[in-house]
Amino acid sequence: AQLTAAPLSALVDEPVHIQVTGLTPFQVVCLQASLKDEKGNLFESQAFYKANEVGEVDLERDASVGGDYVGVHPMGLLWSLKPEKLLTRLAKRDVMNSPFQVQVKVCDPYFPIKNVVPGAPKDSLTLERWYVAPGVTRIQVKEGRLRGALFLPPGEGLFPGVIDLFGSAGGLIEFRASLLASHGFAALALAYWGYDDLPPLLEKVDLEYFEEAVEFLLRHPKVLGPGVGVISVCKGAEVGLSMAVNLKNITATVLINGPNFAIGNLHVYRGQTSLPTPTNIEFTSSNALGFAEFYRTYEQTGDVDSRYCFPIEKAEGHFLFVVGEDDKALNSKAHALQATSQLTRNGKKNWTVLSYPGAGHLIEPPYSPLCCASRIPFVSPNIHWGGEVIPHAAAQEHSWKEIQSFLKKHLILDVTSQL
Amino acid sequence: MFQLIVTPSTALADEPVTIRVTGLPPSQIVTLKATLKDEKENLFQSRAFYKASEAGEVDLEWASALGGDYIGVHPMGLFWSLKPKTAFRRLIKKDVMNSPFYITLDLYDSVSLNDSATIQPKASQMVQRWFSGPGVQRKQIREGRVRGVLFLPPGDGPFPGIIDLFGRIGGVVEFRASLLASRGFVVLALAYFAYEDLPNKLLEVDLEYFEDAANFLLAHPKVQRPGIGVISVSKGAEIGLAMACYLKQVVATVCINGSSVVLDLPLRYKDLVVTPIRLGLERTQVHVSGAARFRYLTDDLWNKLNPQSMLPVEKAQGWILFIVGENDECLDSRGYAERAMQQLQSHGRSRGRMLAYPGAGHLIEPPYSPFCLASWNPGVERPFLWGGDPADHAAAQDHSWGEIQKFFRQHLIPTRSKL
Repeated sequence: AQLTAAPLSALVDEPVHIQVTGLTPFQVVCLQASLKDEKGNLFESQAFYKANEVGEVDLERDASVGGDYVGVHPMGLLWSLKPEKLLTRLAKRDVMNSPFQVQVKVCDPYFPIKNVVPGAPKDSLTLERWYVAPGVTRIQVKEGRLRGALFLPPGEGLFPGVIDLFGSAGGLIEFRASLLASHGFAALALAYWGYDDLPPLLEKVDLEYFEEAVEFLLRHPKVLGPGVGVISVCKGAEVGLSMAVNLKNITATVLINGPNFAIGNLHVYRGQTSLPTPTNIEFTSSNALGFAEFYRTYEQTGDVDSRYCFPIEKAEGHFLFVVGEDDKALNSKAHALQATSQLTRNGKKNWTVLSYPGAGHLIEPPYSPLCCASRIPFVSPNIHWGGEVIPHAAAQEHSWKEIQSFLKKHLILDVTSQL
Repeated sequence: MFQLIVTPSTALADEPVTIRVTGLPPSQIVTLKATLKDEKENLFQSRAFYKASEAGEVDLEWASALGGDYIGVHPMGLFWSLKPKTAFRRLIKKDVMNSPFYITLDLYDSVSLNDSATIQPKASQMVQRWFSGPGVQRKQIREGRVRGVLFLPPGDGPFPGIIDLFGRIGGVVEFRASLLASRGFVVLALAYFAYEDLPNKLLEVDLEYFEDAANFLLAHPKVQRPGIGVISVSKGAEIGLAMACYLKQVVATVCINGSSVVLDLPLRYKDLVVTPIRLGLERTQVHVSGAARFRYLTDDLWNKLNPQSMLPVEKAQGWILFIVGENDECLDSRGYAERAMQQLQSHGRSRGRMLAYPGAGHLIEPPYSPFCLASWNPGVERPFLWGGDPADHAAAQDHSWGEIQKFFRQHLIPTRSKL
């Protein structure tokens, strides 16, 4: 039997075509993928396929009959990877110097019976999944108060500038910015707490810090102006929305599963403050495995009372809301609806909502495995993020394309419209 | 001052408990937490958040939990929502005679999401949950080939006799038998593999072994004649249904979430050998938690079915009660029970009844047994996904237990002897 995959080395958001040949007609085989992250955590997936009458399996054509996914899913082995240790999230730290290596094997089906050692695989190969395209450069940013990493595509530019904000994990998360740079954006992965000499704990959202970031990006010789984009998730999206409302030159804002009001922290900008919205922590639920779900905790306050909401109608740019309807950390769908209703009431049409049934909180670039629960700093119970494996993977695939089109559409203007 | 009143403090495990808090400030938010350590020192916990009334009271009979491990009015919620600290452990009492489960109930005057070494509860009560009532006797059985444990109610009898069968967990599981004995039945918890000198692995179902057990029970001086009952779950329920079909000694059979066809292993009774339907292990699916979902192992069963593999329910002379969890992820329990019911009806037999519970999973146990979504099974590397929604499952356990006892009394106690 022979296992092939093309391309063997690719960007992590690019699909791979996996095939098996040389089997007997209608033979049932097991395809397995495994990966070790930078900390040595093992992730694995498997799917069972029945070869056709000429002994071939083609993941672009054939349906998996069992395993971590069923149905026709050419990239299923990647996005259904599961950690050996429950609650481990897959996140690449070093995005420049090494790829994730994914071992793919084809073997006879074996079942997880104790003390039964599986036979040797019929064939195997290793995929390289990179977070940067060739020629992308990374610049450590330590200017003024700013801390982060700027990723630039190869060439002279000019490139549309995007600020990339993550959420409650803190620190500096680079993998999405490096991928955006691989697709032609000048992407600034911006840290705002828990990194370098930034506050170890986020106390307040100081919008002047983010304003510095906007100005930094626009000053850069390779960045196309006159405005920048923002891509932001969770707490980052709370900040992203606040930036769009208060700051100039924010042309396009992507808000992934974020609130439309301040949560947990004061927002300040030039003497004006937005108070954090009161929360009912007693509305925290637990799923059947004991992971905490926080999405109900604003149902009597921010979800229903508009006086807490950011005055989104004051924002000048465009919005793309990306919503996972199965988000268990935040009531994302309600927040997006509330924000866009506010825009509509004020006669504004500068928004789009992409709402994905079955998708959870952590909507990431395509083929990222679903992390259904994990811990974040300073919060004690394990948090249930929500999402069902197959619809979540579909949401990641669809939204990533939409996000890039949205950013390009609003950041790269016709020359004529600039006159 | 706060008072936490829990009554009764000692009871059988299938008896409800009333939990009341008094002396709180009006509208105070409190946490009620339950903790249990099983016989292997595994910790199980649950919690719920309540708001005191204007009179400073929380009475779980009418108070609605705002969050925590369950939401809404659930007087016994703290019991059935107990969760293991280490995922996938199932709570099963081993010693059913000499010790109870001890459950500690704690009251905190705030929202307590996590355990804290420093924050002490404001009030605490301990309750004892016993699996056998006063006067119940336990006897180890080694008669001919028959291996198991017999439970006898206090008194001379005669009492209706029941054989209790569990599934692929093997060995002997005693807690349901001991509880039924506490309710006036003579119950034989029957082992059929992985116990004493029985085969270690289950390779076939030899119905003559179960007939020996039925004859042993009927011969007991304290057991009501002329027929006995069977209570059976999972693989045990497939065996129980086979007993109902072939053994005239069995006059009342409860089948909980079992198959109505011979699955995986051959069934033998005297000269008859029934070929089983093969389980397609390649159709095992993996749940997002990593647990194995076996529900779809029999693909397209009803279209490809060899009628000889169907259990001939029309031959059963006694009564059959099918208990079905509609969200069973281990087996298509509803499908099997409906087919059996149709088969009975098409042969003009009217002694079958089905109770189908929406939202209930595979492990329908006596009331207040903690909901278990997935747990380890001996010999398998992955936990098994049982399925179910916690609150619906708890309601099914509550309702079915009463129905099961009524069913046995109705069909095993001859009415003439009641005069």
